[in-house]
Amino acid sequence: MALSGASQQSPDSTAAAPSAPAAQTPGALSPGNANYRITARLDPDARTITGDETLTWRNTATRPAATLQFHLYYNAWRDGQSTWMRERARAGRASAVRQRPEDSASIDIRSLRVIRNGVAADLTARTTFIAPDDGNVHDRTVIEVPLDSPVAPGDSLDVQVGWQSRIPRTVARTGAVGDFFFIAQWFPKIGVFEDAGWNCHQFHASTEFFADFGTYDVELTVPTGWTVGATGRERARTDRGDGTTTHRYVQAAVHDFAWTTSPDYIERRDRFEHATLPPVDMRLLLQPEHAGQADRHFAATRAALKYYGEWYGAYPYGHITIVDPAWQSGAGGMEYPTLFTAGTEVLSPARTGDPEEVTVHEAGHQFWYGIVATNEFEHAWMDEGLTTFSTARVMDEAYEPNFYSERYFGGFVPWVFRDLPLDREADGNRMAGYRRAAKGDAPSTPSFRYWPGSGGAITYNKTSLWLHTLERMLGWETLQRAMSTYFTRHALTHPRPRDFFDTVNEISGRDLTWFFEQVHGGSHVFDYSLDLLRSEQGTSGYHTAVVARRLGEGVFPIDVQIVFEDGSAQRWNWDGRERWKLFETDRPVRALHAQVDPERILLLDVNTTNNSASLKPRAKAAARTWSLAWLLWLQDHLLTYGFFV
Amino acid sequence: MRATSSFLTGLARVHRAPAVLAGTCALTVLIALPLSIALSGMLEAHLGNSLAAESVAAGANHQWWQEFSAQASGLGATFRPSIVGFAAVLRNWGDLLDNAPLASTIAGATVAWLVLWSFVSGGVIDRLARDRRTRSHGFFAACGVHVWRLLRLGVVALAIYAFLFGWVHGWIFDEGVGRLVRDVTVERTALLFRIAGYAVFGAMLIFFNLIFDYARIRIVVEDRRSALGAIGAAARFVRRNPGRVLTLYAINGLACLALVAAYALLNPGAPGHGLRLWGALLLGQLYIVARHYLKLAFYASETVLFQSALAHAGYTAAPPLVWPESPAAEAITNADPVATS
Repeated sequence: MALSGASQQSPDSTAAAPSAPAAQTPGALSPGNANYRITARLDPDARTITGDETLTWRNTATRPAATLQFHLYYNAWRDGQSTWMRERARAGRASAVRQRPEDSASIDIRSLRVIRNGVAADLTARTTFIAPDDGNVHDRTVIEVPLDSPVAPGDSLDVQVGWQSRIPRTVARTGAVGDFFFIAQWFPKIGVFEDAGWNCHQFHASTEFFADFGTYDVELTVPTGWTVGATGRERARTDRGDGTTTHRYVQAAVHDFAWTTSPDYIERRDRFEHATLPPVDMRLLLQPEHAGQADRHFAATRAALKYYGEWYGAYPYGHITIVDPAWQSGAGGMEYPTLFTAGTEVLSPARTGDPEEVTVHEAGHQFWYGIVATNEFEHAWMDEGLTTFSTARVMDEAYEPNFYSERYFGGFVPWVFRDLPLDREADGNRMAGYRRAAKGDAPSTPSFRYWPGSGGAITYNKTSLWLHTLERMLGWETLQRAMSTYFTRHALTHPRPRDFFDTVNEISGRDLTWFFEQVHGGSHVFDYSLDLLRSEQGTSGYHTAVVARRLGEGVFPIDVQIVFEDGSAQRWNWDGRERWKLFETDRPVRALHAQVDPERILLLDVNTTNNSASLKPRAKAAARTWSLAWLLWLQDHLLTYGFFV
Repeated sequence: MRATSSFLTGLARVHRAPAVLAGTCALTVLIALPLSIALSGMLEAHLGNSLAAESVAAGANHQWWQEFSAQASGLGATFRPSIVGFAAVLRNWGDLLDNAPLASTIAGATVAWLVLWSFVSGGVIDRLARDRRTRSHGFFAACGVHVWRLLRLGVVALAIYAFLFGWVHGWIFDEGVGRLVRDVTVERTALLFRIAGYAVFGAMLIFFNLIFDYARIRIVVEDRRSALGAIGAAARFVRRNPGRVLTLYAINGLACLALVAAYALLNPGAPGHGLRLWGALLLGQLYIVARHYLKLAFYASETVLFQSALAHAGYTAAPPLVWPESPAAEAITNADPVATS
């Protein structure tokens, strides 16, 4: 049921039996200004969706809206000229843009009527495609509709849209493969009207979405017997007698609606219960070949709900749907309100983090994206970065160390390296990816303008690294309070970077602007090193000297420590500003080794090997050991090629 | 002679030729060691006097590994976690069967090893066919006699294998399997298709491998000068003895698989330090020696089968003849000394 835009909603404000009482809902209530009632019929053979929607929209800005703007995401794959396709090609993902004609997608508006004060006006002919980001005249992912008269602040209108979509072969986590359908970004979705005007970006290859909160009341007609999963709870199911069944899903206080259907799903249910958090019904739609991994999916979801709930705030919706996507659907690892896709393989050994990590990550997005709904087009780090940081933390808390693994023979055969445990600092925060793209973009650049090939390293990895650095600077207790406060204040709203920074400054009682300006405002690389460690005997003991250097542009106050042969240590705190600094001391004993940032506070340091120096270096022994191991690999390689002679 | 007897006899012949085993192992080390030393220099330079060397020397340090990889190029880029323990085997076989591009920094060593192996294979087969000591001058004389013939055979083999990996692999896995699994949503089904792809591609590889194996043997044993003639003769031999040839090939293949499985079970993992370091390296080298042993057993058993099938009874040569009599002439002499008088 589409609600009048004038009301505010809690996540359970529809007829749905709420599991989480409104009192437990964090933060402000949703303005609920974009409410949809949608009916859609899937033709799986033709791969089309025929839909009608009634949008009730309220202008929450302080200025009148003279036009409406809608996203038509499926047109990103209409041909090779869309901005999405051009950006993907620019990023070197040629395979993604070489699509067959039958794999293309489209969304066409059949009709668009605006109803105000009971008077309907057909504005179909007025719709025009616009390209506010890059002026690409071939891009059809945003339409604009001029209104007869502006919508004043606080006023509402109804928009009835009829449309037909052609479903792509799965791309960007939406579409179909075989009988598997995962349908996201599929309906004409209104942009976000702000004081500065419409925030309705074209679909870009490296960024996600942004929409207003509202209630979604959606009727989906699919072949009878097919399992359906969707945002919200199922309220009704009607067999239409023509081989199809209509499933009605309703959810309040969300900003998107995604769904899936397939005849192959098996369904499992479980419940998250916690002493201080509201219970959550968990529904898992699983591929039959992954039936044995149901418990792993539930355990990971439970871990996310528990730790996110304890750290930041309660999950308010009372239910969550976990979708295990079909093989090669490409739909895995994506978040939507009250529903997310995980992803696993048939051969998925324990303690490799698969499917646990992706499950924790996407479940965690219910908080950083679902509830705190930041603008993914412009500030992707605010949901992806916070979630990556939190995922690493949950994995560290909930699971024993995972191990590095690789897959061979077309990716089907896994091998777990039990000698290579993964750690939170580098692996959880994804340092390797950040290191490769550290200078790619400044996070303050609108995300849709990132270089598409390296944007992920900035949004996910860099944010996780600087948040973890912040955790080590401030202590987890302080950072947790800051993040919890930020969560509570901005639940069901659209906060901006300033909101996060201000909250951290306020809660920590420190002005961290210098830090945020570097990690968010710039693309500086942090790299401190240690040089010239000497400990020479003099007349009254040993004179020890060490030079610390700042090799990168980033500046960070840092400790320098020398450890002596008797186990004693001397430490200096360096503001880290100069390019180098000499530290000297006289002791009765010789130095053993020295380190810059011995506690490893600065996790953004891209090279930690140069952070220390020893007077008894073991590089030769280490190199000999590992070159002999490598020798073994090369010998085996030669013998493998020996097959040919 | 039956395939099993040929296999066992082949093993016995390899067993009686320890110098050949040692020599081929040395050849592999000779090719690989300089690169290993070069890599050692890179690792040492990167570690410098860092404390990270402590943990790297004591076992694996994944963070350091990632830092090294981030700046590594050339040979250093091949230093990946998949060199550790049994993963090395999976990586090598996986790369080969999935037609992964060969890193240019080790391509030279690989080609050098193949050429040198082609050179020594004449002497190796000669030694195993005679099943008696040929001494180094006899061994290398046989190498010299056959090297150009074997290299010509190698050129033909290169052309065939290049065609298989350059075109047929793509047809099977990209066009064939790729098309078949395009709309498959069940991983197990896709895996079966891929296994079928490996089976088809593997069957082609084995077919040509068999031909080239017996061509190599006929060049040496029969002192054939024409590589193309040897290929034809080998094809005829395989066509006339398909059961025994394929069974023997399967036995040899299974022996290799058994060795690989044993290594997988014992998987030494990262080198560690102290006894664990030397234990892991020793186990790895034992595996490499065993691979050489089975490689020679492949040659020996196929040679035995060929000799037995083409009525070279009493091929075992005694008393030794003065080189350069071919193995075939030597066998004829052994069978009927009057023939050479």
